[in-house]
Amino acid sequence: MNSASKVMVGRVGKGSAYLDLSQALSGILLSLFMLGHTLFVFGIVFGAKFFDQVAGFLESTNLAQIGGPIVGLIFLVHFILAARKIPFTTKEQKIVWRQALMLKHSDTWLWLVQVITGMLLLLLGSIHVWVILNDLPITALKSKELVQSGLWLYFNLLFLFSVALHLGIGLYRVGAKWGFVTRSNRFQVKKVIWGLIGGLILLDLISLFRFYFL
Amino acid sequence: MPRMLQFNIFRYNPQDEDSKPHMQTFYLEETPNLNLFIALNKIREEQDPSLQFDFCCRAAICGACAMVINGKPSLACKTKTKDLPDQINLLPLPGFKLVGDLSVDTGSWFRSMNERVKAWVHQDKEFDPTAEEERMDNSLAEKIYELDRCIECGCCIAACATAQMRSDFLGAVALNRVARFILDPRDKRTEKEYFEIIGTDQGIFGCMGLLACEDVCPKNIPLQDQLGYLRRKMGLGAVKNYLFWRKEK
Repeated sequence: MNSASKVMVGRVGKGSAYLDLSQALSGILLSLFMLGHTLFVFGIVFGAKFFDQVAGFLESTNLAQIGGPIVGLIFLVHFILAARKIPFTTKEQKIVWRQALMLKHSDTWLWLVQVITGMLLLLLGSIHVWVILNDLPITALKSKELVQSGLWLYFNLLFLFSVALHLGIGLYRVGAKWGFVTRSNRFQVKKVIWGLIGGLILLDLISLFRFYFL
Repeated sequence: MPRMLQFNIFRYNPQDEDSKPHMQTFYLEETPNLNLFIALNKIREEQDPSLQFDFCCRAAICGACAMVINGKPSLACKTKTKDLPDQINLLPLPGFKLVGDLSVDTGSWFRSMNERVKAWVHQDKEFDPTAEEERMDNSLAEKIYELDRCIECGCCIAACATAQMRSDFLGAVALNRVARFILDPRDKRTEKEYFEIIGTDQGIFGCMGLLACEDVCPKNIPLQDQLGYLRRKMGLGAVKNYLFWRKEK
């Protein structure tokens, strides 16, 4: 720390606090959206007709047309806010991997998993939102055709694992950072989080394979 | 049959132009109740008098013998070899100026940190040496003492990926120090003044919640709970005027 050589000019603003709060809130909002999304897609298990009814409801009420772009916007804002902490420079990359390999500390590794899945989601999520919203209305038939064509099965597999891991670890770390996950409940919360991640992956896998074999 | 321990120790003397950073291996037979502090002294006395490392109190109070032990920052005097495998790798704490081998200069860093968070009780009254000391509730005194147990060993900084990446990050030790003064009723600083010190990306909002500080602290100080408390206090403090529609004072 070289603070002795630094001179503070002016007062400390509230900017960092607002940005940090927004990062947490946008993450929580996206998590809630994803939980809902997982349940809606899981509707395919009850048949194509039921799935189409749910999709039809979301579109007839304009929830998909308006909600979709809003979620897309929160998604991008969340990335920009979180990018403040992502080690982008080669110097930071060197340090962070050396640190993780030296320390063998699970929470440090979890954070790295979150950074990597975050970068993956930026790419995969953008593609997914673009493809789906460009081809409304959502129907079981169109989803089936998409999943069964090209490399979309593998795309979705990678996507769903990334979402579940990023969401679970993210919620755990929001809790830890903001004092909801404490020394006394940390390891119980971690178990719940792994349950959540596993549950999400399971539901999404069932939905995906239901489409694949529809 | 006692174990033969293999010590792989980081060697480098920045004062010596010919010195290059490398790992040197020493062997030492394990004796009952051997800790790393004794082991290092034995190696220095019997095998290599040029080996540099710090120690002072040998009772986990001074914090001088902190080093990276098999990847984990900890105190040499508090680490028994019976809890370690046959192979023991020792590195100096990262993030601090290297004096030589396992010895680092934590002092300059801590002095700078303490100046930055103004780590002293801020009073508005003039000190009266004849007056009786103000009384404090015992449970509050214990709460303050719990955080005051920090020995400034530097393990939390060495374990923190954020502090390693960003040298201006205050780190758990400084934030814990601030939490300690917030608790103390004798310190007259306002919430705004504390915010000025830690309400930035170099302070509490720079913490990424990796909790390595919590997991390595040799004094088991509840760092995680202090960091969470401070973030909530500072974060919600910044928006409470909007939350409750109050005018900013």
